Amino acid sequence: MSILQVQNIQKHFGNVNVLHNISFELEKGQTLAIIGSSGSGKTTLLRCLNFLETPDEGRICVAGETLFDAKDPAAQKEKEIRRKRLHFGMVFQSFHLFPQYTALENVMLAPELLAKEEKDFKSRKKEILQDIRSRAEDLLRQMGLEDRASHYPHELSGGQQQRVAIARALAMNPDIMCFDEPTSALDPELTGEVLKVIRGLSQAKTTMIIVTHEMAFARDVADRVIFMDNGVVVEQGEAREVIDHPKEERTKRFLARYSAEGSMRT
Amino acid sequence: MFWTVNNALLEAMGTTLQLFALTLLFSLPLGLVIAFGSMSKWAPLRFLSRFFRVPGIFKGLAGFRPIHFLVDVVVWIIRGTPLMLQLLLIYFGPGLIFDNNIWGSGNGGRFVATVAAFVLNYSCYFSVIYRGGIEGVPVGQREAGQVLGMTRPQIFFKITLLQMVKRIVPPMSNEIITLVKDTSLARIIAVSELIKVGESFMKSDGLIWPLFYTGVYYLVFVGVLTLLFGYVERKLGYFR
Ligand SMILES: Nc1ncnc2c1ncn2[C@@H]1O[C@H](COP(=O)(O)OP(=O)(O)OP(=O)(O)O)[C@@H](O)[C@H]1O
Ligand SMILES: [Mg+2]
Repeated sequence: MSILQVQNIQKHFGNVNVLHNISFELEKGQTLAIIGSSGSGKTTLLRCLNFLETPDEGRICVAGETLFDAKDPAAQKEKEIRRKRLHFGMVFQSFHLFPQYTALENVMLAPELLAKEEKDFKSRKKEILQDIRSRAEDLLRQMGLEDRASHYPHELSGGQQQRVAIARALAMNPDIMCFDEPTSALDPELTGEVLKVIRGLSQAKTTMIIVTHEMAFARDVADRVIFMDNGVVVEQGEAREVIDHPKEERTKRFLARYSAEGSMRT
Repeated sequence: MFWTVNNALLEAMGTTLQLFALTLLFSLPLGLVIAFGSMSKWAPLRFLSRFFRVPGIFKGLAGFRPIHFLVDVVVWIIRGTPLMLQLLLIYFGPGLIFDNNIWGSGNGGRFVATVAAFVLNYSCYFSVIYRGGIEGVPVGQREAGQVLGMTRPQIFFKITLLQMVKRIVPPMSNEIITLVKDTSLARIIAVSELIKVGESFMKSDGLIWPLFYTGVYYLVFVGVLTLLFGYVERKLGYFR
């Protein structure tokens, strides 16, 4: 059974329909790439999954549990949403690290706050905090940042900041990691280090949704691809299939523009 | 004579300092509460927008935010009238209107009334500075906290607060330095603060220099504060 089921998501801002009837599923351990031109609703879709936006219609289920159902407003209470969010991890285009904390503190903050709410926290305080710290250190090591743990965000390059942000999201052990154009805010020479980390996560069977403009990367790393245009899913399928042999006219045009731009750049 | 004057001024300085410290003690937190009030999104009539899809009066009503409105009116009144007037009204008002001087008689009552007026006035000014500071923290910071499962209080205290403080140090230092000198308004209801005591030597001994000499006290006080603000600014300089 799929770990994520998204059914008929609709979202409008004012009079503009930004998402129409978005439905897709994702298997555990798979990587899904979402591609599409600017303004097609990719960010809005990820924000809906993370409860940063409330869809007008539709359902979101993770591991069989219904997290969101537009028909059931009772389930949308702040307190419940908070726990539900933890099924998803989110990495933003512009990192949003907390500037007053070091890289390590950024990673440890949320797990610590969550642990403090556990009943047995007081009695096992030392042990729990030590666990959180060593897990955070492990994650930074995994991101290739062990020597940057005590740096503040402004002392890190964009690529390093984004890797800290990835570690920070992973620290909450989400079922599904979401990335919104994780390399778009980076200088070209820094994208590689971030993509490498994401590729590693994919190989380690982390369930992921990546919004990206890096077609080659999507083709290489993703199992599945969704092409969105104007708030609708135009085409979805196996990554290589969609990117190498698109069926829909709009997908073909989009990809053609990409390869033209790509060859112009290089 | 110099030492007589100096000792009297030192004592008056004590009153000034107390007024200053008590005002800050209460208005710094109260200002934050007022800031939250003015940012309140609570709109109890929002349900109206579901029934009336037509724009116009109902749309206006549906968007009505009572707490935000009330707080903004209070802030407008307080910032729109002189502190001296507010002080007089707070001290004499209850006696004149209700025939009941709630402040009690004598110096103690006068001092308490002064603190009340100053707290009210300054918390309104602080609230506006706070709000600017909070709104200046990028939304992304709050969203990053949300997606990590933090609660609203956790996001405020662990993420927003320190970033806000860093932003507001310069405008707050201005306001706090203004407060130092505003304390002299308390003499309007005969509180023995610096200027009043300095002035008193004119009548009693025909001396004018004690009044001007009070300036030295203010200068030293503000000098110390300036150093303090510089220190805080440097302390918070570790992040951007
Ligand atoms: N808060 C908002 N209020 C109003 N309109 C919005 C809001 N957020 C997004 N939109 C609109 O929704 C549409 C989809 O935006 P979205 O950011 O999801 O696109 P995107 O596919 O992520 O684009 P990009 O590739 O440029 O990041 C756009 O037309 C945008 O103007
Ligand atoms: Mg986007």
